[in-house]
Amino acid sequence: MSDTMPSLTDRIAALPGCDKTLARVLFGSALLALLLGLGFGWLTALGRAGVTGFEPLLAARLLTLHGVTVFFYWLYLAQAALLLVLAGAEQNCGGLALRPLAWVGCVLMLAGFAVSEISSIIGTPLLYDGGPALGRDDPAAVGWFSLGYLLLGAGLAVSSVSVIATVLSRPNSGTSEPLSAVGFALFAWAGFLIVSAIASVNAFLPSVLWALGLGAFPANQPTEWHILFHNLHYLPLMATVVVWYVLVQALTGVSSMHGSRFSKIVFASYLLFVPPTSLYHMFLEPNLAEGVRVVGSLLSLFVAVPTVMAFLIIVSSLEAHGRSHSSSGGFSWVRALPWKNPVMSAIACSALNLALGMTFAFVLIQEKVAPLLSDTFFVPGYFHFFAVGTVSLSFLAAMMVVLPALTGTLPWRPSLLNRMPALISVGLLIFGAAGIAAGFVGVPRRTFDISYGGDAPALWHTLMSAVGIGGTVFAIGLTVLVIGVARSLFQKIGDVTNQQPEVSWGNTPARASAAAWVGPLGVLVMVLAMAVFTVVAFELMNALPLIVIGGSGGHSH
Amino acid sequence: MKEDALLILLVFVVWAALALIYALVPSLGMPGYVRVWGAGAALFLGLAGLLTAVRR
Repeated sequence: MSDTMPSLTDRIAALPGCDKTLARVLFGSALLALLLGLGFGWLTALGRAGVTGFEPLLAARLLTLHGVTVFFYWLYLAQAALLLVLAGAEQNCGGLALRPLAWVGCVLMLAGFAVSEISSIIGTPLLYDGGPALGRDDPAAVGWFSLGYLLLGAGLAVSSVSVIATVLSRPNSGTSEPLSAVGFALFAWAGFLIVSAIASVNAFLPSVLWALGLGAFPANQPTEWHILFHNLHYLPLMATVVVWYVLVQALTGVSSMHGSRFSKIVFASYLLFVPPTSLYHMFLEPNLAEGVRVVGSLLSLFVAVPTVMAFLIIVSSLEAHGRSHSSSGGFSWVRALPWKNPVMSAIACSALNLALGMTFAFVLIQEKVAPLLSDTFFVPGYFHFFAVGTVSLSFLAAMMVVLPALTGTLPWRPSLLNRMPALISVGLLIFGAAGIAAGFVGVPRRTFDISYGGDAPALWHTLMSAVGIGGTVFAIGLTVLVIGVARSLFQKIGDVTNQQPEVSWGNTPARASAAAWVGPLGVLVMVLAMAVFTVVAFELMNALPLIVIGGSGGHSH
Repeated sequence: MKEDALLILLVFVVWAALALIYALVPSLGMPGYVRVWGAGAALFLGLAGLLTAVRR
């Protein structure tokens, strides 16, 4: 960003009215999806905790609705909205290029939202991966469900074209000046969304054709789903670090001290690492060649490299600037951050939750452990640290900056909202710790009735009760945060942009001698935690009184 | 500008290489990977070209 560039909130406030309307429609729809998905998820957690019982069909429907609504429509409507607004702001006053395409994209995504929700409510529940095997007797349900995702993918692709055109039509377009780091990140992010739309066609078009009687049964859908699913892991994390990058600059004035070029390399590395690291999703495939397993296991070690690099850039830049502005040492620069601003609290909590999620993700993706844990409650136990604690918190933090600027409102009760990220994180900690422990002791992932006629260990019920308590706590925090954020969409108070506490560390460059060790130390602690929990996982697995009779030869394990 | 196009071109190279590996080693048995990484490679090649053309 050049020195003469207006602030992010000023650039958003200056967007043309039609772009603001589009953004409000998308943000509003995203928040609606989050509230709906949260409700379905909370009911699911209560069912898993044994507070209330659900018939198996209803339980499967709740799981489907929860996954579809949150994992697809909340995360991707929010991404589309953020991409379009940030691209428009990058363009600085001119607004979106190819605006009609952005609107067509919005209509397609909302149509997909409606189709997916209705088909999940009235059709055979297929879970969020839309596996056609579950709907073999109900092709119409499979067809409509798959069509919903195809519409979402088409909408994301069309909107992304508008984003790319907007980024390329900045005021200095036509010169040899490179894109800004944020502009490049938006460009790469939009490209990645288009590829993911292609992956959704690859995964779901055969299902639609089969439902129409125009193709064979899509027996390969689970494999094709994994390709899309891999992208869907990376996209929200890439979006999260771009959001952190933008928000830290907006809150503190600090941009990367490592230079724009290095930031671009890190953003590009997301795209570089996507295909090579995809193999670990196939570890459950029984026919996967042993050599492919070994290569996939080695490559999976690189899966977190871009996110760790982005984290280090942001934290080291912040620390060096903070120390340059602080006369006392230690952690005084941390205390000087604008902690009364809920955006700051949300970013900090999301970083902590990311570290927790990453620690256990690395335990899970190891080739020897994955088959034992993938169908247990370990999976929802750890991935809510990502989905809720990292990505959702970061997106909501971005909305707390963007929406008041879009609508000219004051943020609603910032002191109350400022407490929500911590409350959500506490709930997640309870949910995650109990869920991960439940996974280690064998609680199945998608089975609501885990009594097994009274044969199940008593510990299972205790752990799942804790899952229900943790889920309720973070659902309360998230609901308050969403309502607070959503009020900025509707309440027009005056020509007021975000006036929450900020610091201005970016006006002067960081001292060359300023230390920046907190980021590397944080990564070191995370790596040590990964090692410890990996050892714990193997020890627990070895200690389980498990006897499996193999299909070929009856080997005991 | 050159750096932007070069980075996206590098993405094309990696994706194209992976698509080729999956295409040329049938025992891997994952034609979907060829389609998606291959289409992605073509897209990023186009985007690198676009970056070059727009800034020229």
